[in-house]
Amino acid sequence: MPVVDVDPDELRELTGHEKTDEEFIDDLFALGLEFEGETEEGELQLEFAPDRLDRLSVEGIARSLRYHYGDARGVHVPDTNDADWTIEVADSVPDERPYVTGAIVRGVDLDDDALDSLIQLQEKLHATMGRKRAKGAIGIHDLAMIKGSAGTDGEANTVTYRGVAPDGDTFVPLDSDAEMSPADVLADHDTGRTYADLVAEYDRYPAIYDDLGLFSFPPVINGRRTEVTAGSRELLVEMTGTDQWTIDRMLAIVCYALSARGATIEDVEVAYPDAAGATSASPDAGADDPDADTPHPSAGRTLVRPDLEVTEKSVSHERIESTIGVAFDPDEVVDLFERSGLDATYTLGEEVVYDVEIPPYRVDVLHPYDLVDDVGRAYGFNDLEPRYPDVGTVGGRHDRSRLEDAARASLVGLGFEDLLNFHMISGPENYDRLRVDPGTEVLGGGDPVTITEPYSEDYTQLRTWALPSLLMVLERNTHRAYPQDLAEIGLAAERDDAENTRVAERRTVAAVLARTDASYEDAKARLQAVCRDFDVDLATPPTDHPTFIDGRTAAVEIDGERVGVIGEVHPAVLVEHDLELPVAAFEFRLDALE
Amino acid sequence: MRLTEAQLAVLEAASATDDRPIDDLAAEIDEKPETVTRAAFQLEDEGLLAVSETDRVSVRITDEGHEYVETDLPEIRLYRAALDAGAADAPRSMGEVIGRADLEGPAVDIALSNYARKGYGTIESGEITADPDMDPAEDPESLALEAIVSAAADREGADGTPADRQTTVQPPESVDADVLESLERRGLVERSESTVRSVALSEDGVTALMEGIETAETVDRLTPELLTSGEWRDVEFAEYNVEADAETAAGGRKHILRQTADRVKDVLVGMGFREMEGPHADAEFWINDCLFMPQDHPARTHWDQFALDLPPMEEIPPGLLDRVERAHREGWGEDGDGYHSPWTEDVARAIDLRGHTTSLSMRHLSGFALGDLEPPQRFFSVEKVYRNDTLDPTHLLEFFQIEGWVMAEDLSVRDLMGTFEEFYRQFGITDVQFKPHYNPYTEPSFELFGRHPETGELIEIGNSGMFREEVLGPLGVECDVMAWGLALERLLMLMYGFDDIRDVHGTLCDLELLRETEVVR
Repeated sequence: MPVVDVDPDELRELTGHEKTDEEFIDDLFALGLEFEGETEEGELQLEFAPDRLDRLSVEGIARSLRYHYGDARGVHVPDTNDADWTIEVADSVPDERPYVTGAIVRGVDLDDDALDSLIQLQEKLHATMGRKRAKGAIGIHDLAMIKGSAGTDGEANTVTYRGVAPDGDTFVPLDSDAEMSPADVLADHDTGRTYADLVAEYDRYPAIYDDLGLFSFPPVINGRRTEVTAGSRELLVEMTGTDQWTIDRMLAIVCYALSARGATIEDVEVAYPDAAGATSASPDAGADDPDADTPHPSAGRTLVRPDLEVTEKSVSHERIESTIGVAFDPDEVVDLFERSGLDATYTLGEEVVYDVEIPPYRVDVLHPYDLVDDVGRAYGFNDLEPRYPDVGTVGGRHDRSRLEDAARASLVGLGFEDLLNFHMISGPENYDRLRVDPGTEVLGGGDPVTITEPYSEDYTQLRTWALPSLLMVLERNTHRAYPQDLAEIGLAAERDDAENTRVAERRTVAAVLARTDASYEDAKARLQAVCRDFDVDLATPPTDHPTFIDGRTAAVEIDGERVGVIGEVHPAVLVEHDLELPVAAFEFRLDALE
Repeated sequence: MRLTEAQLAVLEAASATDDRPIDDLAAEIDEKPETVTRAAFQLEDEGLLAVSETDRVSVRITDEGHEYVETDLPEIRLYRAALDAGAADAPRSMGEVIGRADLEGPAVDIALSNYARKGYGTIESGEITADPDMDPAEDPESLALEAIVSAAADREGADGTPADRQTTVQPPESVDADVLESLERRGLVERSESTVRSVALSEDGVTALMEGIETAETVDRLTPELLTSGEWRDVEFAEYNVEADAETAAGGRKHILRQTADRVKDVLVGMGFREMEGPHADAEFWINDCLFMPQDHPARTHWDQFALDLPPMEEIPPGLLDRVERAHREGWGEDGDGYHSPWTEDVARAIDLRGHTTSLSMRHLSGFALGDLEPPQRFFSVEKVYRNDTLDPTHLLEFFQIEGWVMAEDLSVRDLMGTFEEFYRQFGITDVQFKPHYNPYTEPSFELFGRHPETGELIEIGNSGMFREEVLGPLGVECDVMAWGLALERLLMLMYGFDDIRDVHGTLCDLELLRETEVVR
């Protein structure tokens, strides 16, 4: 979950409330922001679920508090001035990252705190909605350092989003002094290396140009020329990505934050290529255009951005009451909506339905039901009186888990210590150390279900049987008192493409007797006792199994079906597990006891 | 040091400086001599006493002897009669003297045979003479008898019981051995020899007394022989030190986490929940897509879940697949919005280890597991889930998730709160707080917090909510469903304060910890 560092002084300033840190912490908990601790600079570290991404900055949190305190009501949308700048999208823009959006922000007065907050907002949005910049990446530039060019339509003040060959034009990236091509950045620049994977498969890299040339290489790094400082007064905010809606919402959140700092938002025109696909801002980029046939998905569209349009959803009064479990007066509901930063109107009739207006920074409202949650939060969920639902149902255990319990009780009664081991294991532990080969007919020899990208070499597959786990426990506990009679009933699984899940899962019953005089007979005596408990017929015809000593190994046949193996564990296996005393063991399918 | 009561009494009565006969001790401590003897030997085995043995002669005057004590010995009566008859001066007829002495029967022979032997006079040819220098009052045999009688009387007096003729005594020192032998030969005294045991405290005994001694009983174990012979009626059972530690018995026991799971299952079954069952390896469709988790959600990368090297799942109900895809792309219902995220069937069909058991809830709610369900329903599972996390003291790659849901018409947030308050109350957590939260699959959603029963710390104890329309709609569920989840290990750690979950769960476990951990009640 995201964590945002918030300066409590900034909160006091932006909310206008002289509250103590502790009071803020309590109020924020009520909003769902959990206090995790303080930074070295005394900032509050607040953690929250990734729905209200508009709270990824101190400005957004202060806005939520102002609604919470009743200082603000209803929907507020910042005014925007008409567009003066255009972002033109060239056909050469990489197909993988076709979308762009942007805004001009004027009258910015960024002190160090505000600049920090803006940078943090940018990072947190990258981490969440931006999916680590893959889905959306933000570039913020000092507009004063950008020289607009004349666009294809003759408009002044145009910048161009286009593709660039990896070793094409060069620029000086942030945190560097050297002119670098995009390929150089990916190879030699720290940030470039971090994000190189994002564009690894691209033929052309995304780039933004002004009249002076390349100044940004999204989603990797901006150019140093347009770097924002505390002295910057006018900004170009651009965002590129794989989904227009996502970057437009990210832009709305940034614009609201800057507006809260007193800045003025100015529209930008985003001009996608003509449907004909004829435009090419720069001849060199399109020189070997391999995708000339593929029109841009937004070809022919011109957008005015930022998109701060208010959306509307309808929710019924009945739905609100039944979900929260409280009877409301419609006006009270409207009041709760307004305290949530929403606007609502209703018409009295047979059924009261609210038309609710939702501001553009609310990326979490996917369904009218989400609005009910807002009413509940504004009302205060913790003020609700819990009630036990008047719903009668009959409880019960699953047959499989009852059988498992009964078998476990039987084993425990015979003196076995019940164990609980991981279902994941490594190949060597599962096969090699027990002298079993994968893909063989013996118990444990089934094909492995392997993990695609194992995190640890100790856990690379599901265990095909449980005996390896028990031997690992014996191995780890040679310093503990003997006898060690251990048993486990748990999952074992092997590859089986005939199954819908491609995995044959079964519950297996495994037991070991580790004691100075452990013998086949000891194991057999206990296996017989278990079978007697379940009134099943046991036979143990001789068999071979590489884990056990020849001549002291038998198949476990229950009611005529071969379901497992029993025997004295082979000395080579014991020595492999650093055991200095004999071990007798058995393992069989649990469902044989049904 | 533990001794029987008798042993202790003997030890206390014994002296370190003098050997004391067992009879004396028995008299002193009011125990039977046999009891004291047995105790003495047991104490000797313990090294606390030294037992010494001496042979002792005892004598008892026979009935005949007693008679002579009263009437004088026959030879003395004969001597007195002889003197009276003037036999000191001249021999007298034996018949006359015997008549004068009033002797009859065997006493005559006795008198005659001892008269000459003792030198009271001569008996020759039917005539008897008397030595006038003899003094019957000085007769050694007579004196010896009187001395023995007197000793017996003394002895009995000391005991406080009346003297009787059976009393045996040690021969008084005044009695000459020859005389005694003569009396015995005459059948006036019976002599018996016995072994007398005496005891004296050893150094260890002195030390033990000074250190203090507890008493114990006599019979150690009740044996089959004692029972069948009936001897158990006559024995006292040795007292054990019942406070002493015995060697702890090592038995089988259910794993502590299984016990915890059982406890949870008991509570849930009691609250009307039925148990769910389903595959550990499952299609992402059931694990994530049904849950309205966008396919580009951070939790769906391999960093958080375990993808398996398997071909895709083939059988997914086609209508359900279409509806789920539609919910993701377009949203559900008139005013619904979908995700602005890519969605492909390839991702949905890929098989993973389940990251939560909500996949089971989806299989059940869709009707795929048990057929269509009519409200009301309650279901639960306590089963393993798999997360690609760092293995550390509080995180495992696989752990148990408690999953539960209630399906009914018109459920409200208050019903959700009431249900979970009841559940946690069963585990001693009484002040559940509901923090509004966000999950992609529930709305409203709540993180559940409770105070640690021991530390009072506010901790997260679960995640809950009402399933979204985008989840229920495609599944074909037309009423409300509220659900919650919680890691079983978290509940265990709360209940037991374990520091490191790896000691308990998995092959790194410590058998001793498992053996020693308190059981779940």
